[in-house]
Amino acid sequence: MYWNGGAERLFGYSSADALGNSIDSLIVPPGHVDDLGRYRREALTTGFSTFETARLRKDGSLIFTVVSNKAVYDAEGRAEFVLITQKDVTHLKVLRDAKLVESQYRDLLESTPDAIIMANQTGRIVLANSQAERLFGYERGELLGTLVEVLLPSRYRGGHVAHRSGYFGQPRTRSMGAGLELYGLRKDGSEFPVEISLSPLQTDGGTLVMSAIRDITYRKGIESALQEKNVELERANQAKDRFLASMSHELRTPLNGIIGFAEFLSDGKPGPLNDKQKEYLGDILNSGRHLLHLINDMLDLVKIQAGRVDLALERFSLSEAIYEVCTGVHPLAVSKGIDINVTIENGIDFVTLDKPRFKQILFNLLSNALKFTDEHGHVGVDVTSVDGGRFRLVVSDDGIGIRAEDIGRLFTEFEQLESGTSRRFGGTGLGLALTRKLVDLHGGEIGVESEFGKGSRFAVILPLVMKGIAT
Amino acid sequence: MNAARILIVDDNKTNLKLASDVLAFGGYEILNASDAESAQQIIETSRPDLILMDIGLPGMDGLTFTRLLKADEATRHIVIVALTASAMKGDDVRAREAGCDGYITKPIDTRTFPAAVAGYLPVRA
Repeated sequence: MYWNGGAERLFGYSSADALGNSIDSLIVPPGHVDDLGRYRREALTTGFSTFETARLRKDGSLIFTVVSNKAVYDAEGRAEFVLITQKDVTHLKVLRDAKLVESQYRDLLESTPDAIIMANQTGRIVLANSQAERLFGYERGELLGTLVEVLLPSRYRGGHVAHRSGYFGQPRTRSMGAGLELYGLRKDGSEFPVEISLSPLQTDGGTLVMSAIRDITYRKGIESALQEKNVELERANQAKDRFLASMSHELRTPLNGIIGFAEFLSDGKPGPLNDKQKEYLGDILNSGRHLLHLINDMLDLVKIQAGRVDLALERFSLSEAIYEVCTGVHPLAVSKGIDINVTIENGIDFVTLDKPRFKQILFNLLSNALKFTDEHGHVGVDVTSVDGGRFRLVVSDDGIGIRAEDIGRLFTEFEQLESGTSRRFGGTGLGLALTRKLVDLHGGEIGVESEFGKGSRFAVILPLVMKGIAT
Repeated sequence: MNAARILIVDDNKTNLKLASDVLAFGGYEILNASDAESAQQIIETSRPDLILMDIGLPGMDGLTFTRLLKADEATRHIVIVALTASAMKGDDVRAREAGCDGYITKPIDTRTFPAAVAGYLPVRA
Protein backbone atom coordinates (compact mmCIF):
# COMPACT_ATOMS: atom_id res chain seq x y z
CA MET A 1 0.00 0.00 0.00
CA TYR A 2 1.11 3.50 -0.79
CA TRP A 3 -0.24 6.36 1.39
CA ASN A 4 0.31 9.94 0.32
CA GLY A 5 0.36 13.19 2.24
CA GLY A 6 -3.18 13.99 1.22
CA ALA A 7 -4.37 10.70 2.72
CA GLU A 8 -2.48 11.51 5.89
CA ARG A 9 -4.16 14.92 6.14
CA LEU A 10 -7.58 13.50 5.40
CA PHE A 11 -7.56 10.49 7.72
CA GLY A 12 -5.02 11.48 10.33
CA TYR A 13 -2.83 8.37 9.89
CA SER A 14 0.77 8.90 8.85
CA SER A 15 2.19 6.78 6.07
CA ALA A 16 4.07 4.79 8.71
CA ASP A 17 0.80 4.13 10.62
CA ALA A 18 -0.98 3.06 7.48
CA LEU A 19 1.50 0.92 5.61
CA GLY A 20 1.13 -2.79 6.13
CA ASN A 21 -2.42 -2.44 7.42
CA SER A 22 -5.53 -3.38 5.54
CA ILE A 23 -7.22 -0.23 4.34
CA ASP A 24 -10.57 -1.72 5.38
CA SER A 25 -9.57 -2.06 9.01
CA LEU A 26 -8.14 1.46 9.04
CA ILE A 27 -10.75 3.78 7.58
CA VAL A 28 -13.96 1.79 7.10
CA PRO A 29 -16.28 2.45 10.04
CA PRO A 30 -16.98 -0.76 11.99
CA GLY A 31 -20.22 -2.39 10.96
CA HIS A 32 -20.34 -0.33 7.77
CA VAL A 33 -21.83 -2.25 4.89
CA ASP A 34 -20.16 -1.03 1.76
CA ASP A 35 -19.94 -3.39 -1.05
CA LEU A 36 -16.24 -2.73 -1.27
CA GLY A 37 -15.50 -5.94 -3.10
CA ARG A 38 -17.98 -5.12 -5.85
CA TYR A 39 -16.53 -1.66 -6.45
CA ARG A 40 -13.02 -3.08 -6.56
CA ARG A 41 -13.96 -5.84 -8.95
CA GLU A 42 -15.71 -3.25 -11.09
CA ALA A 43 -12.54 -1.19 -11.09
CA LEU A 44 -10.48 -4.22 -12.11
CA THR A 45 -12.77 -5.19 -14.96
CA THR A 46 -13.81 -1.80 -16.30
CA GLY A 47 -10.81 0.14 -15.08
CA PHE A 48 -12.80 2.59 -12.87
CA SER A 49 -15.49 2.79 -10.19
CA THR A 50 -16.70 5.50 -7.87
CA PHE A 51 -19.07 5.84 -4.87
CA GLU A 52 -19.76 8.04 -1.90
CA THR A 53 -19.47 6.71 1.63
CA ALA A 54 -18.64 7.44 5.23
CA ARG A 55 -15.07 7.00 6.40
CA LEU A 56 -13.43 6.89 9.77
CA ARG A 57 -10.60 9.21 10.79
CA LYS A 58 -7.88 8.27 13.24
CA ASP A 59 -9.47 10.49 15.93
CA GLY A 60 -12.70 8.49 15.66
CA SER A 61 -14.68 11.12 13.75
CA LEU A 62 -16.55 10.32 10.58
CA ILE A 63 -16.26 12.13 7.27
CA PHE A 64 -17.97 11.64 3.95
CA THR A 65 -15.78 10.94 0.98
CA VAL A 66 -16.19 10.20 -2.66
CA VAL A 67 -14.06 7.17 -3.39
CA SER A 68 -12.64 6.61 -6.85
CA ASN A 69 -10.98 3.30 -7.67
CA LYS A 70 -8.74 3.25 -10.71
CA ALA A 71 -6.95 0.11 -11.88
CA VAL A 72 -3.30 0.46 -12.83
CA TYR A 73 -1.99 -2.12 -15.32
CA ASP A 74 1.45 -3.57 -15.77
CA ALA A 75 3.27 -3.92 -19.12
CA GLU A 76 1.37 -7.09 -19.95
CA GLY A 77 -1.99 -5.44 -19.32
CA ARG A 78 -2.63 -7.17 -16.00
CA ALA A 79 -4.05 -5.10 -13.22
CA GLU A 80 -1.16 -4.45 -10.88
CA PHE A 81 -2.83 -2.37 -8.18
CA VAL A 82 -5.79 -0.13 -7.56
CA LEU A 83 -5.33 3.59 -7.17
CA ILE A 84 -7.86 4.78 -4.62
CA THR A 85 -8.62 8.48 -4.41
CA GLN A 86 -10.75 9.81 -1.60
CA LYS A 87 -12.16 13.28 -1.73
CA ASP A 88 -13.60 14.81 1.41
CA VAL A 89 -17.18 15.80 0.60
CA THR A 90 -18.36 16.11 4.19
CA HIS A 91 -19.35 19.72 3.84
CA LEU A 92 -21.12 19.07 0.58
CA LYS A 93 -22.94 16.15 2.15
CA VAL A 94 -24.05 18.38 5.03
CA LEU A 95 -25.43 20.90 2.60
CA ARG A 96 -27.26 18.21 0.69
CA ASP A 97 -28.70 16.67 3.88
CA ALA A 98 -29.64 20.14 5.11
CA LYS A 99 -31.50 20.89 1.91
CA LEU A 100 -33.30 17.55 2.16
CA VAL A 101 -34.52 17.94 5.75
CA GLU A 102 -35.18 21.67 5.37
CA SER A 103 -37.76 21.02 2.69
CA GLN A 104 -39.32 18.07 4.45
CA TYR A 105 -39.26 18.97 8.15
CA ARG A 106 -38.52 22.65 8.78
CA ASP A 107 -42.16 23.79 9.00
CA LEU A 108 -43.08 20.89 11.22
CA LEU A 109 -40.13 21.42 13.58
CA GLU A 110 -40.68 25.17 13.86
CA SER A 111 -44.11 24.45 15.29
CA THR A 112 -42.93 22.39 18.27
CA PRO A 113 -42.03 24.04 21.57
CA ASP A 114 -38.86 21.97 21.91
CA ALA A 115 -35.47 22.81 20.50
CA ILE A 116 -34.70 20.34 17.73
CA ILE A 117 -31.29 19.56 16.29
CA MET A 118 -30.68 17.15 13.46
CA ALA A 119 -27.25 15.80 12.72
CA ASN A 120 -25.93 13.35 10.17
CA GLN A 121 -23.51 10.48 10.72
CA THR A 122 -20.51 12.78 10.79
CA GLY A 123 -22.03 14.58 13.78
CA ARG A 124 -22.56 17.77 11.81
CA ILE A 125 -25.71 19.75 12.28
CA VAL A 126 -27.96 19.69 9.22
CA LEU A 127 -30.92 21.40 10.84
CA ALA A 128 -31.52 23.49 13.95
CA ASN A 129 -34.97 24.95 14.47
CA SER A 130 -35.22 28.52 15.70
CA GLN A 131 -36.08 27.31 19.20
CA ALA A 132 -32.71 25.51 19.27
CA GLU A 133 -30.88 28.56 17.96
CA ARG A 134 -32.49 30.75 20.58
CA LEU A 135 -31.87 28.20 23.36
CA PHE A 136 -28.15 28.02 22.61
CA GLY A 137 -27.79 31.71 21.67
CA TYR A 138 -26.88 31.39 17.98
CA GLU A 139 -27.86 33.45 14.94
CA ARG A 140 -30.16 32.11 12.31
CA GLY A 141 -28.36 29.40 10.32
CA GLU A 142 -25.16 29.78 12.30
CA LEU A 143 -25.14 26.20 13.57
CA LEU A 144 -25.48 24.56 10.19
CA GLY A 145 -22.51 22.33 9.38
CA THR A 146 -20.88 22.62 12.79
CA LEU A 147 -20.23 19.54 14.91
CA VAL A 148 -22.99 18.99 17.51
CA GLU A 149 -20.26 18.97 20.16
CA VAL A 150 -20.12 22.79 20.06
CA LEU A 151 -23.37 22.65 22.05
CA LEU A 152 -21.72 20.64 24.83
CA PRO A 153 -19.45 21.78 27.66
CA SER A 154 -15.93 20.75 26.63
CA ARG A 155 -15.64 18.15 29.41
CA TYR A 156 -18.32 16.04 27.71
CA ARG A 157 -17.13 16.36 24.11
CA GLY A 158 -14.70 13.44 23.89
CA GLY A 159 -17.20 10.98 25.31
CA HIS A 160 -19.94 12.32 23.12
CA VAL A 161 -18.11 11.55 19.87
CA ALA A 162 -17.80 7.91 20.91
CA HIS A 163 -21.48 7.74 21.98
CA ARG A 164 -22.59 9.36 18.78
CA SER A 165 -20.69 6.85 16.63
CA GLY A 166 -22.18 4.06 18.76
CA TYR A 167 -25.68 5.45 18.26
CA PHE A 168 -25.50 5.05 14.49
CA GLY A 169 -24.53 1.42 15.03
CA GLN A 170 -27.85 0.81 16.83
CA PRO A 171 -30.17 3.72 16.18
CA ARG A 172 -33.39 3.72 18.21
CA THR A 173 -35.56 6.23 19.97
CA ARG A 174 -34.43 6.81 23.52
CA SER A 175 -33.62 9.49 26.01
CA MET A 176 -29.99 10.45 26.26
CA GLY A 177 -27.97 9.60 29.33
CA ALA A 178 -30.92 8.38 31.39
CA GLY A 179 -30.18 9.09 35.04
CA LEU A 180 -27.26 11.36 34.19
CA GLU A 181 -27.04 15.10 34.56
CA LEU A 182 -26.74 16.56 31.08
CA TYR A 183 -25.74 20.12 30.28
CA GLY A 184 -25.91 22.29 27.23
CA LEU A 185 -23.40 25.04 26.35
CA ARG A 186 -24.58 28.41 25.04
CA LYS A 187 -22.56 30.43 22.55
CA ASP A 188 -21.68 32.85 25.34
CA GLY A 189 -20.07 30.00 27.31
CA SER A 190 -22.79 29.62 29.93
CA GLU A 191 -24.20 26.18 30.76
CA PHE A 192 -27.72 24.98 31.51
CA PRO A 193 -29.22 21.60 32.45
CA VAL A 194 -30.99 19.79 29.62
CA GLU A 195 -33.07 16.75 28.91
CA ILE A 196 -32.51 15.19 25.51
CA SER A 197 -34.34 12.52 23.59
CA LEU A 198 -32.90 10.97 20.47
CA SER A 199 -34.58 9.35 17.52
CA PRO A 200 -33.18 8.08 14.24
CA LEU A 201 -34.58 9.44 11.02
CA GLN A 202 -34.19 7.46 7.80
CA THR A 203 -33.74 9.68 4.76
CA ASP A 204 -32.63 9.20 1.18
CA GLY A 205 -29.29 10.60 2.23
CA GLY A 206 -28.79 8.02 5.00
CA THR A 207 -29.64 7.87 8.69
CA LEU A 208 -29.89 11.16 10.56
CA VAL A 209 -30.35 11.61 14.27
CA MET A 210 -32.92 14.01 15.61
CA SER A 211 -32.51 15.31 19.15
CA ALA A 212 -35.23 17.15 21.02
CA ILE A 213 -33.63 19.29 23.70
CA ARG A 214 -35.42 20.79 26.64
CA ASP A 215 -34.04 23.37 29.04
CA ILE A 216 -34.81 22.00 32.51
CA THR A 217 -33.33 24.83 34.57
CA TYR A 218 -36.75 25.69 35.94
CA ARG A 219 -37.65 22.09 36.70
CA LYS A 220 -34.26 21.48 38.32
CA GLY A 221 -34.83 24.54 40.48
CA ILE A 222 -38.19 23.23 41.59
CA GLU A 223 -36.80 19.75 42.14
CA SER A 224 -34.01 20.95 44.37
CA ALA A 225 -36.36 23.28 46.22
CA LEU A 226 -38.71 20.34 46.77
CA GLN A 227 -35.85 18.15 47.86
CA GLU A 228 -34.72 20.73 50.39
CA LYS A 229 -38.28 21.12 51.58
CA ASN A 230 -38.58 17.36 51.99
CA VAL A 231 -35.39 17.14 54.01
CA GLU A 232 -36.68 19.97 56.15
CA LEU A 233 -40.05 18.26 56.63
CA GLU A 234 -38.41 14.97 57.43
CA ARG A 235 -36.28 16.69 60.05
CA ALA A 236 -39.29 18.46 61.53
CA ASN A 237 -41.17 15.18 61.60
CA GLN A 238 -38.34 13.44 63.42
CA ALA A 239 -38.16 16.29 65.89
CA LYS A 240 -41.90 15.93 66.45
CA ASP A 241 -41.50 12.18 67.06
CA ARG A 242 -38.68 12.74 69.52
CA PHE A 243 -40.66 15.44 71.25
CA LEU A 244 -43.75 13.25 71.58
CA ALA A 245 -41.73 10.27 72.77
CA SER A 246 -39.99 12.24 75.47
CA MET A 247 -43.14 14.14 76.39
CA SER A 248 -45.04 10.88 76.76
CA HIS A 249 -42.36 9.65 79.10
CA GLU A 250 -42.29 12.90 81.04
CA LEU A 251 -46.08 13.00 81.31
CA ARG A 252 -46.27 9.50 82.64
CA THR A 253 -43.91 10.02 85.56
CA PRO A 254 -46.12 12.45 87.54
CA LEU A 255 -49.20 10.52 86.46
CA ASN A 256 -47.78 7.43 88.11
CA GLY A 257 -47.66 9.40 91.35
CA ILE A 258 -51.28 10.51 90.94
CA ILE A 259 -52.56 7.03 90.14
CA GLY A 260 -50.36 5.35 92.73
CA PHE A 261 -51.38 7.55 95.65
CA ALA A 262 -55.05 7.57 94.66
CA GLU A 263 -55.01 3.79 94.49
CA PHE A 264 -53.23 3.50 97.82
CA LEU A 265 -55.67 5.89 99.47
CA SER A 266 -58.81 4.38 97.98
CA ASP A 267 -57.69 0.96 99.19
CA GLY A 268 -57.92 2.52 102.66
CA LYS A 269 -54.32 1.64 103.56
CA PRO A 270 -53.48 4.85 105.41
CA GLY A 271 -56.87 4.92 107.15
CA PRO A 272 -60.63 4.52 106.71
CA LEU A 273 -62.51 6.68 104.16
CA ASN A 274 -66.10 7.82 104.01
CA ASP A 275 -68.18 7.06 100.90
CA LYS A 276 -67.75 10.45 99.23
CA GLN A 277 -63.99 10.33 99.70
CA LYS A 278 -63.96 6.86 98.21
CA GLU A 279 -66.07 8.02 95.26
CA TYR A 280 -63.87 11.03 94.51
CA LEU A 281 -60.73 8.93 94.74
CA GLY A 282 -62.35 6.54 92.28
CA ASP A 283 -62.92 9.51 89.93
CA ILE A 284 -59.29 10.58 90.24
CA LEU A 285 -58.20 7.03 89.48
CA ASN A 286 -60.44 6.70 86.43
CA SER A 287 -59.34 10.04 85.02
CA GLY A 288 -55.73 9.21 85.71
CA ARG A 289 -55.99 5.79 84.06
CA HIS A 290 -57.75 7.30 81.05
CA LEU A 291 -54.99 9.86 80.67
CA LEU A 292 -52.37 7.14 81.00
CA HIS A 293 -54.12 5.12 78.31
CA LEU A 294 -54.11 8.12 75.99
CA ILE A 295 -50.43 8.75 76.57
CA ASN A 296 -49.59 5.09 76.01
CA ASP A 297 -51.55 5.04 72.73
CA MET A 298 -49.79 8.19 71.62
CA LEU A 299 -46.38 6.77 72.44
CA ASP A 300 -47.28 3.59 70.55
CA LEU A 301 -48.39 5.55 67.50
CA VAL A 302 -45.23 7.61 67.50
CA LYS A 303 -43.09 4.50 67.86
CA ILE A 304 -44.86 2.74 65.01
CA GLN A 305 -44.64 5.82 62.82
CA ALA A 306 -40.94 6.08 63.49
CA GLY A 307 -40.56 2.38 62.60
CA ARG A 308 -39.31 1.57 66.07
CA VAL A 309 -41.73 -1.25 66.86
CA ASP A 310 -40.55 -4.81 66.38
CA LEU A 311 -43.10 -7.57 66.60
CA ALA A 312 -42.30 -10.31 69.09
CA LEU A 313 -43.86 -13.32 67.42
CA GLU A 314 -45.03 -16.28 69.47
CA ARG A 315 -47.32 -19.26 69.03
CA PHE A 316 -50.44 -18.93 71.15
CA SER A 317 -54.02 -20.08 71.40
CA LEU A 318 -56.39 -17.65 69.73
CA SER A 319 -59.32 -18.67 71.91
CA GLU A 320 -57.24 -18.14 75.02
CA ALA A 321 -56.14 -14.66 73.90
CA ILE A 322 -59.74 -13.74 73.06
CA TYR A 323 -60.84 -15.02 76.45
CA GLU A 324 -58.19 -12.90 78.17
CA VAL A 325 -59.32 -9.75 76.34
CA CYS A 326 -62.98 -10.48 77.09
CA THR A 327 -62.08 -10.81 80.76
CA GLY A 328 -60.42 -7.39 80.58
CA VAL A 329 -63.55 -5.68 79.22
CA HIS A 330 -65.93 -7.77 81.31
CA PRO A 331 -66.62 -5.07 83.95
CA LEU A 332 -67.68 -2.59 81.23
CA ALA A 333 -69.89 -5.21 79.54
CA VAL A 334 -71.53 -6.16 82.82
CA SER A 335 -72.16 -2.54 83.79
CA LYS A 336 -74.10 -2.01 80.54
CA GLY A 337 -75.80 -5.39 80.60
CA ILE A 338 -74.21 -6.42 77.30
CA ASP A 339 -73.44 -10.03 76.46
CA ILE A 340 -70.32 -10.68 74.40
CA ASN A 341 -70.95 -13.60 72.12
CA VAL A 342 -67.75 -15.31 70.93
CA THR A 343 -67.69 -17.90 68.12
CA ILE A 344 -64.55 -19.44 66.71
CA GLU A 345 -64.64 -21.63 63.62
CA ASN A 346 -63.68 -25.24 64.30
CA GLY A 347 -60.08 -26.04 63.53
CA ILE A 348 -58.71 -22.56 64.22
CA ASP A 349 -56.74 -22.40 67.40
CA PHE A 350 -53.02 -21.78 67.41
CA VAL A 351 -51.62 -18.77 65.60
CA THR A 352 -48.19 -17.15 65.44
CA LEU A 353 -48.43 -13.40 65.95
CA ASP A 354 -47.32 -10.77 68.44
CA LYS A 355 -49.68 -11.76 71.24
CA PRO A 356 -49.78 -8.49 73.23
CA ARG A 357 -50.29 -6.55 69.97
CA PHE A 358 -53.04 -8.92 68.84
CA LYS A 359 -54.76 -8.48 72.19
CA GLN A 360 -54.40 -4.72 71.83
CA ILE A 361 -56.14 -4.86 68.42
CA LEU A 362 -59.03 -6.90 69.81
CA PHE A 363 -59.19 -4.84 73.00
CA ASN A 364 -59.50 -1.59 71.04
CA LEU A 365 -62.24 -2.95 68.77
CA LEU A 366 -64.09 -4.60 71.61
CA SER A 367 -64.00 -1.65 73.96
CA ASN A 368 -65.20 0.59 71.09
CA ALA A 369 -68.07 -1.81 70.41
CA LEU A 370 -69.05 -1.78 74.07
CA LYS A 371 -68.69 2.00 74.29
CA PHE A 372 -70.93 2.68 71.31
CA THR A 373 -73.61 0.12 72.10
CA ASP A 374 -76.61 0.95 74.27
CA GLU A 375 -77.45 -0.97 77.42
CA HIS A 376 -78.61 -4.53 76.83
CA GLY A 377 -77.27 -4.41 73.28
CA HIS A 378 -75.31 -7.17 71.56
CA VAL A 379 -71.62 -7.44 70.82
CA GLY A 380 -70.06 -10.35 68.95
CA VAL A 381 -66.59 -11.64 68.25
CA ASP A 382 -66.36 -14.07 65.32
CA VAL A 383 -63.33 -15.86 63.96
CA THR A 384 -63.47 -17.59 60.58
CA SER A 385 -60.78 -18.87 58.26
CA VAL A 386 -59.83 -17.06 55.06
CA ASP A 387 -57.91 -18.59 52.16
CA GLY A 388 -54.18 -17.98 51.95
CA GLY A 389 -53.51 -19.18 55.50
CA ARG A 390 -55.31 -16.27 57.11
CA PHE A 391 -58.23 -15.69 59.44
CA ARG A 392 -60.89 -13.04 59.82
CA LEU A 393 -61.70 -11.52 63.19
CA VAL A 394 -65.02 -9.69 63.20
CA VAL A 395 -66.18 -7.51 66.08
CA SER A 396 -69.81 -6.54 65.59
CA ASP A 397 -72.29 -4.53 67.60
CA ASP A 398 -75.83 -3.19 67.28
CA GLY A 399 -74.89 0.22 68.62
CA ILE A 400 -75.11 3.73 67.18
CA GLY A 401 -73.21 2.87 63.98
CA ILE A 402 -71.26 5.22 61.77
CA ARG A 403 -72.44 7.55 58.99
CA ALA A 404 -71.14 6.56 55.55
CA GLU A 405 -69.39 9.92 55.08
CA ASP A 406 -67.46 9.43 58.33
CA ILE A 407 -66.07 5.98 57.56
CA GLY A 408 -63.10 7.34 55.58
CA ARG A 409 -61.82 9.38 58.55
CA LEU A 410 -62.31 6.61 61.02
CA PHE A 411 -58.77 5.26 61.05
CA THR A 412 -57.08 8.67 61.22
CA GLU A 413 -55.48 10.02 64.39
CA PHE A 414 -57.66 12.25 66.57
CA GLU A 415 -60.74 11.87 64.37
CA GLN A 416 -63.42 11.05 66.83
CA LEU A 417 -66.56 11.50 64.87
CA GLU A 418 -69.11 13.81 66.38
CA SER A 419 -67.57 16.43 68.52
CA GLY A 420 -68.97 15.54 71.87
CA THR A 421 -68.80 11.78 71.39
CA SER A 422 -65.45 11.93 73.07
CA ARG A 423 -66.95 13.46 76.16
CA ARG A 424 -69.90 11.09 76.06
CA PHE A 425 -67.99 7.89 75.49
CA GLY A 426 -64.53 8.70 76.74
CA GLY A 427 -62.58 7.62 73.67
CA THR A 428 -59.11 8.86 72.95
CA GLY A 429 -59.48 9.32 69.20
CA LEU A 430 -56.27 7.33 68.83
CA GLY A 431 -57.54 3.80 69.26
CA LEU A 432 -58.56 3.02 65.68
CA ALA A 433 -55.55 4.76 64.14
CA LEU A 434 -53.32 2.69 66.38
CA THR A 435 -55.31 -0.46 65.66
CA ARG A 436 -54.90 0.04 61.92
CA LYS A 437 -51.15 0.54 62.33
CA LEU A 438 -50.89 -2.64 64.43
CA VAL A 439 -52.81 -4.58 61.77
CA ASP A 440 -50.54 -3.13 59.07
CA LEU A 441 -47.49 -4.24 61.03
CA HIS A 442 -48.82 -7.79 60.90
CA GLY A 443 -49.32 -7.51 57.14
CA GLY A 444 -53.09 -7.63 57.65
CA GLU A 445 -56.11 -5.65 56.57
CA ILE A 446 -58.81 -3.85 58.48
CA GLY A 447 -62.18 -2.66 57.28
CA VAL A 448 -65.57 -1.63 58.53
CA GLU A 449 -69.18 -1.94 57.48
CA SER A 450 -71.71 0.13 59.28
CA GLU A 451 -75.22 1.43 59.03
CA PHE A 452 -75.96 4.51 61.02
CA GLY A 453 -78.22 3.70 63.92
CA LYS A 454 -77.98 -0.06 63.39
CA GLY A 455 -74.46 -0.99 64.39
CA SER A 456 -71.00 -1.66 63.04
CA ARG A 457 -68.90 -4.62 61.95
CA PHE A 458 -65.13 -4.20 62.14
CA ALA A 459 -63.27 -6.95 60.29
CA VAL A 460 -59.56 -7.66 60.60
CA ILE A 461 -57.78 -10.17 58.39
CA LEU A 462 -54.50 -11.50 59.75
CA PRO A 463 -52.12 -14.30 58.80
CA LEU A 464 -52.40 -17.45 60.92
CA VAL A 465 -48.64 -17.67 60.96
CA MET A 466 -46.78 -14.43 60.59
CA LYS A 467 -43.36 -14.91 59.07
CA GLY A 468 -40.90 -13.06 61.26
CA ILE A 469 -37.99 -11.01 60.13
CA ALA A 470 -34.93 -13.05 61.03
CA THR A 471 -33.28 -11.60 64.09
CA MET B 1 -40.31 -7.41 115.45
CA ASN B 2 -37.16 -7.65 113.38
CA ALA B 3 -38.42 -6.07 110.12
CA ALA B 4 -36.38 -6.24 106.92
CA ARG B 5 -34.59 -3.03 106.15
CA ILE B 6 -35.12 -1.66 102.61
CA LEU B 7 -33.25 1.19 100.98
CA ILE B 8 -35.03 2.91 98.08
CA VAL B 9 -32.88 4.98 95.70
CA ASP B 10 -34.92 7.18 93.38
CA ASP B 11 -34.43 10.80 92.31
CA ASN B 12 -38.15 11.37 91.75
CA LYS B 13 -39.45 12.53 95.14
CA THR B 14 -43.05 11.47 94.53
CA ASN B 15 -42.15 8.01 93.29
CA LEU B 16 -39.77 7.65 96.22
CA LYS B 17 -42.44 8.65 98.70
CA LEU B 18 -45.07 6.37 97.14
CA ALA B 19 -42.80 3.33 97.17
CA SER B 20 -41.62 4.16 100.72
CA ASP B 21 -45.09 4.59 102.15
CA VAL B 22 -46.55 1.54 100.43
CA LEU B 23 -43.72 -0.60 101.81
CA ALA B 24 -43.80 1.09 105.23
CA PHE B 25 -47.46 0.11 105.49
CA GLY B 26 -46.35 -3.37 104.56
CA GLY B 27 -44.32 -3.40 107.76
CA TYR B 28 -40.80 -2.82 106.43
CA GLU B 29 -38.20 -0.46 107.77
CA ILE B 30 -37.57 2.04 104.95
CA LEU B 31 -34.54 4.18 104.13
CA ASN B 32 -34.52 6.77 101.36
CA ALA B 33 -31.84 8.18 99.08
CA SER B 34 -32.11 10.33 95.98
CA ASP B 35 -28.70 9.59 94.48
CA ALA B 36 -25.82 7.11 94.60
CA GLU B 37 -23.67 9.25 96.87
CA SER B 38 -26.20 9.61 99.68
CA ALA B 39 -27.19 5.94 99.22
CA GLN B 40 -23.56 4.91 99.73
CA GLN B 41 -23.46 6.71 103.09
CA ILE B 42 -26.69 5.08 104.24
CA ILE B 43 -25.43 1.63 103.18
CA GLU B 44 -22.25 2.10 105.23
CA THR B 45 -24.09 3.10 108.38
CA SER B 46 -27.34 1.11 108.16
CA ARG B 47 -26.62 -2.12 106.22
CA PRO B 48 -29.99 -2.63 104.38
CA ASP B 49 -31.17 -6.14 103.44
CA LEU B 50 -32.45 -5.02 100.08
CA ILE B 51 -32.00 -2.02 97.78
CA LEU B 52 -34.65 -0.85 95.29
CA MET B 53 -32.55 0.91 92.68
CA ASP B 54 -33.88 3.34 90.10
CA ILE B 55 -31.83 2.98 86.94
CA GLY B 56 -31.92 6.59 85.76
CA LEU B 57 -30.23 8.39 88.62
CA PRO B 58 -28.56 11.77 88.24
CA GLY B 59 -24.78 11.62 88.60
CA MET B 60 -23.75 7.99 88.89
CA ASP B 61 -26.51 5.91 87.29
CA GLY B 62 -28.14 2.99 89.09
CA LEU B 63 -26.47 0.28 87.03
CA THR B 64 -22.95 1.62 87.59
CA PHE B 65 -23.71 1.94 91.29
CA THR B 66 -24.97 -1.65 91.33
CA ARG B 67 -21.74 -2.88 89.72
CA LEU B 68 -19.71 -1.10 92.40
CA LEU B 69 -21.78 -2.57 95.25
CA LYS B 70 -21.62 -6.07 93.76
CA ALA B 71 -17.83 -5.79 93.37
CA ASP B 72 -17.35 -4.82 97.02
CA GLU B 73 -16.87 -7.69 99.48
CA ALA B 74 -18.68 -5.71 102.20
CA THR B 75 -21.86 -5.05 100.18
CA ARG B 76 -22.17 -7.81 97.59
CA HIS B 77 -24.59 -9.83 99.76
CA ILE B 78 -27.21 -7.04 99.65
CA VAL B 79 -30.10 -7.93 97.33
CA ILE B 80 -30.49 -5.29 94.63
CA VAL B 81 -33.78 -4.98 92.72
CA ALA B 82 -33.82 -2.56 89.77
CA LEU B 83 -36.77 -0.25 89.20
CA THR B 84 -37.08 -0.08 85.40
CA ALA B 85 -39.43 1.94 83.26
CA SER B 86 -41.66 -0.53 81.43
CA ALA B 87 -41.41 1.57 78.26
CA MET B 88 -37.67 1.17 78.07
CA LYS B 89 -37.00 -2.05 76.23
CA GLY B 90 -33.86 -3.88 77.25
CA ASP B 91 -33.59 -2.25 80.69
CA ASP B 92 -34.38 -5.59 82.33
CA VAL B 93 -31.51 -7.27 80.50
CA ARG B 94 -29.10 -4.46 81.33
CA ALA B 95 -30.15 -4.65 84.99
CA ARG B 96 -29.34 -8.37 85.14
CA GLU B 97 -26.01 -7.81 83.41
CA ALA B 98 -25.06 -5.15 85.94
CA GLY B 99 -25.59 -7.66 88.75
CA CYS B 100 -29.13 -6.85 89.90
CA ASP B 101 -30.91 -9.79 91.53
CA GLY B 102 -34.18 -8.84 89.89
CA TYR B 103 -36.25 -5.99 88.59
CA ILE B 104 -39.69 -4.46 89.08
CA THR B 105 -41.18 -2.33 86.33
CA LYS B 106 -42.41 1.17 87.02
CA PRO B 107 -45.06 2.48 87.47
CA ILE B 108 -45.48 0.40 90.57
CA ASP B 109 -48.83 -1.21 91.28
CA THR B 110 -49.49 -0.34 94.93
CA ARG B 111 -51.51 -3.54 95.39
CA THR B 112 -48.85 -5.99 94.24
CA PHE B 113 -45.68 -4.04 95.06
CA PRO B 114 -45.16 -5.23 98.67
CA ALA B 115 -45.52 -8.87 97.65
CA ALA B 116 -43.17 -8.43 94.70
CA VAL B 117 -40.54 -6.93 96.98
CA ALA B 118 -41.06 -9.66 99.60
CA GLY B 119 -40.31 -12.26 96.92
CA TYR B 120 -36.77 -10.93 96.63
CA LEU B 121 -36.00 -10.76 100.33
CA PRO B 122 -33.58 -13.34 101.65
CA VAL B 123 -35.26 -15.90 103.92
CA ARG B 124 -34.16 -15.30 107.48
CA ALA B 125 -32.84 -18.00 109.69
